[in-house]
Amino acid sequence: MLKSPATHSSTAPVTSDKAKSKAERSESGFWLNAKDKYYAWIFLGPSLLILGVFIFYPMFRTLYLSLFLTNTVGKPTVFVGLSNYINLLTSADYLSSLGVTMVYVLAVTVITIALGLILANYASKQLAGIGIFRTLFSATMGVSVSVAAIFWLFIFNPSTGFLALVSNWLHLPQINWLTDPGWAMLAVIITTVWMNLGFTFLILLGAMQSVPTTLYEAASIEGATPRYQLFHITIPMISPTLFFVSIITLIEGFKSFGLIDLMTKGGPTNATNMLVYRIYKDAFYSGNYAQASAESLILTVIIAIFTLIQFKVLEKRVNY
Amino acid sequence: MKKVMAFLKAHLLPVIAIVVVVIGAVVYTSAHKQTSAKAGRTPIVFWHEMGGPAEVALDQMVDKFNKSQSKYEVIPQYQGAYDEAVQKIIQSHGSNASPALFQSFDISTAQMMHSKYTTPVQKFIDEDNYNVSDISPVARSFYSNKGKQLAMPFNTSQPVLYYNASLLKKYHITPPAKSPSYSDVTRVAEQLYKRSHHKVKGMTMEIYGWLMEEALANAKTSLVNHGDGHVGNPTKINLNNPTTVNYLKWIRTNIKSGDFVNYGSGASAETNEIAAFLAGKLGIFVQSSAYIGQLTTDNPNKLGISYFPHPDGQKANGVGIGGAALWISNDKPTKVQKGAFEFIKYAERPDSQANWQKATGYLALNSKSQSQPALKSLYAKQPEARVPGEQLAAAKPNDTNSGILMEGMQLTREMEETAMETVYDGGSIPKALSNASQGMNTNLKTTNRANNDYQ
Amino acid sequence: MSISLRNVRKDYDQQTKVLEKVSAEVQTGEFFVIVGPSGCGKSTLLRMIAGLTPITDGEVRINDRVVNELPPKARKLTMVFQNYALYPFLSVWDNVAFGLKARKLSQSDVQNRVNNALKMVNLTDFKNRKPRELSGGQRQRVALARAVASDADICLMDEPLSNLDAQLRIRMRQEIYNLQRKLGLTLIYVTHDQVEAMTMADHIMVLNDQHVQQIGTPAEIYQHPANEFVAQFFGTPQINILPAKRSAENSHLLTVGSNDMQVALNEEVPADQLRIGVRPDELTISRADSVDSNAVVKNTEFLGNETIVYATLNSGDNVRAVLPGQVNFRGYEPIKVQVGSHLLFFNNDGERIGLTKEEAVHA
Repeated sequence: MLKSPATHSSTAPVTSDKAKSKAERSESGFWLNAKDKYYAWIFLGPSLLILGVFIFYPMFRTLYLSLFLTNTVGKPTVFVGLSNYINLLTSADYLSSLGVTMVYVLAVTVITIALGLILANYASKQLAGIGIFRTLFSATMGVSVSVAAIFWLFIFNPSTGFLALVSNWLHLPQINWLTDPGWAMLAVIITTVWMNLGFTFLILLGAMQSVPTTLYEAASIEGATPRYQLFHITIPMISPTLFFVSIITLIEGFKSFGLIDLMTKGGPTNATNMLVYRIYKDAFYSGNYAQASAESLILTVIIAIFTLIQFKVLEKRVNY
Repeated sequence: MKKVMAFLKAHLLPVIAIVVVVIGAVVYTSAHKQTSAKAGRTPIVFWHEMGGPAEVALDQMVDKFNKSQSKYEVIPQYQGAYDEAVQKIIQSHGSNASPALFQSFDISTAQMMHSKYTTPVQKFIDEDNYNVSDISPVARSFYSNKGKQLAMPFNTSQPVLYYNASLLKKYHITPPAKSPSYSDVTRVAEQLYKRSHHKVKGMTMEIYGWLMEEALANAKTSLVNHGDGHVGNPTKINLNNPTTVNYLKWIRTNIKSGDFVNYGSGASAETNEIAAFLAGKLGIFVQSSAYIGQLTTDNPNKLGISYFPHPDGQKANGVGIGGAALWISNDKPTKVQKGAFEFIKYAERPDSQANWQKATGYLALNSKSQSQPALKSLYAKQPEARVPGEQLAAAKPNDTNSGILMEGMQLTREMEETAMETVYDGGSIPKALSNASQGMNTNLKTTNRANNDYQ
Repeated sequence: MSISLRNVRKDYDQQTKVLEKVSAEVQTGEFFVIVGPSGCGKSTLLRMIAGLTPITDGEVRINDRVVNELPPKARKLTMVFQNYALYPFLSVWDNVAFGLKARKLSQSDVQNRVNNALKMVNLTDFKNRKPRELSGGQRQRVALARAVASDADICLMDEPLSNLDAQLRIRMRQEIYNLQRKLGLTLIYVTHDQVEAMTMADHIMVLNDQHVQQIGTPAEIYQHPANEFVAQFFGTPQINILPAKRSAENSHLLTVGSNDMQVALNEEVPADQLRIGVRPDELTISRADSVDSNAVVKNTEFLGNETIVYATLNSGDNVRAVLPGQVNFRGYEPIKVQVGSHLLFFNNDGERIGLTKEEAVHA
């Protein structure tokens, strides 16, 4: 993922190699002889078995369940076609979850990357003691979700938390971070960003440090300010990494569960009831496996669409 | 990091071997520990959801039971939260990982009944001629259907009204009656708010479906048809009824006069209202009797307790219970099921229940527990701790105060709470209630449809 | 746009000295080449002129103004890097326009300058390509176009041709030279290649061992090297350096090696013990029988128009000689080696001493 631009620029003759290997492939062809087929199955067998048991079967089972109603003990009983999907997509409750998830995911992605970029930009400078800052900035990478949640629960605590103490000291009105529907989302976003930041920072820093210094030197001789260099050299140069990080953060955002469960449980009043948390609650609280299956598939489609959009939109800017 | 990687590379196989052996050993010993029973004893695996001090008390109860006889060995296993445990119990049924005896919470009763995965304890009550008359009738009726006992109530609580007696005395306010009416509570709340010059809020009612259901129970109104599910499987829900409207109007009256404070919903709401109450900034709140321990130990003020309030001009019907019951799985041999029932009987004994109330705040279900030394010493120290037990004993069970025997109660409560929230925020009461009713009915129809060809 | 270096010094820390006492004057419009082996500090010197590396001590002046503390962009110069410093995500056109846009020049100005620059380096047809779609020489030209477009009078180049193959290097050498002349650039050019220095420079600065060895025109450097290092650095094959001494009997007589050759000078040999430098093409070789011979042939290399002969003198010193045309020797064939009229004298520290002119040698 952290290919240096040097390797990018030195891959000009690749096309001919590709053409060649394609030709070879078509020569040996799809029609393998019996012995080759036998070997092919032997080699593919283990991975097909593992994929089948752990990926394909659950996936088709989910699809199957989503087309039924499930009874008290989770068994599919009545075939209802797509009505689980239709009910969900017309339910104000589900749509609000969808909206909440979008806000959360986009906010987390944008803020994480913006902050990561700023921190990495500072940390990539050759300054005395910069190592300490690099370590500090990346420190949250080793923090587990539960530790992060507990840490921030302490900070957000309305009576003894750090934020309460500060607002008390400044005579500001107290904010019920986790119990006020308006603020809970922000609290969860802050915590997620804090948790993601270490990884994002480190990856972006790595990418920045692989940008050849002569690019900056040339630019500074030509009269580009540091700010201009950030936007016109650094960001375009690390765009493949930015792309990677943004997809990872986005998908991780959609999948956020532990933090929600530990901090808000989807509340207050569903203000942080993300799609994944909803699936969990529908399946493992209410035992409504059919609906949870339908929700899972909708979420899968949403993530796929987002990833696709990112690929389509960003690959133009990324690929150089 | 590099060094670690290099080490791993060089010693990959031995490292893997060691890890496998260690994991294997851990799994083996823990599995061994979980399923072992002393020679000659029948193991009874018992799944429960009691954490913290309640788990300690439960373990002690189990230990005493195991020592009291030599035929069975009850093995308690903590399974996390109520909601998740229900799914674990259902999904593990029929496998050798399933429990013989399990604890499942109040609103899962209909689900457990419909699953047909349990042996109704009535069978063992009849076989043993076990006398259940000492056990709280309201609690028993919660877990029974058509006169048949499905499970035995275990940890049980009821909502009660807590008030700050010291503050009331300070501002010369007559405390609420032992079984107060809505207007009586309003009077106290308003007086407290005014006479403290708005320094003390009068009251709160948490946005919690359970409390609203209890308000219906206390007014002898059913939420769902077929006698709240006790006569037959429910087919219709009516939240938009005069009783609910009356309850919400009472809350709105207090919101309007400014004495009411809204702490929202969920565990944090409870934490915050208790914190405010203990700090003398809140006069009245209604909450589970299980909080009594916390409210007496850390409270600088004198605690007052009344029954759950009832509508004006109407006698209190009594409220239903909350908590959980003990169920016996039907996928285990009769010998094991009998052993499970032996433990249930032990758990319901007067001394067991008295110790249980003292240790946990859950109410003793056996009427003979009241004369046990454990409770006598508790009441000597905290006379007000009697009140919840008295409320429990006073209720005569009928269909409306025996819980709602309907599947999908988790979702129903969520919708109730959304409606309450809307009203607390100033929205129209009938509209909020009819919206909720509509959602609940859709849900109920789907559930019934899904269960139809199974039942 | 003259540049002047006065006692410039660079230390990275107390111990590591990179450059010391570097002084030079670069005239306006001059092609000035800094040459030396790798690690001699020549790139560092260039970066100090550019302002990319701070100066420890001394002065750098541009047009008589001390620029030590000026940031790079205030020095009004351009620089071409060894790796060209092209932006891989920008087209050729945008690469050339980068600096102009950064300086917020007007759109039409940018257009004109970029188009002119691309035309000048014959890249107009490639203006929409990305750097990775260009050959090495074309990339080099993009870098040149950037320098051209910037309109600065001073251009610094840091080994700009070292990534190119030999053929291309010769062509680009000429292009750079023509460009410099055409634009009247003051060009400071760093290289480790003596041929580049000799072929392009108006003046050459030879750097070695943290110090300036010599500054001069290519002819001066070649003909009158200040020391053995400079003499050896220029010219292929390398100059022969041989031990020599003044004859005890005749102070005008020079004995080379252990009595292998004797040269009579017009004047006194400048020292008792000394070393002489003879360019390979100044040696003459003739076949001889073993009695007359003073050397044996080790190896020959035929290059088409000339032959290089590697031989070992009786004294054990190795010599290289370039002979015109094709000359065939057997291995270990005895020969007689004689020095020509061009001799350089160095003392035992490698400093040049006494006369170097051909007049010193007796014909």
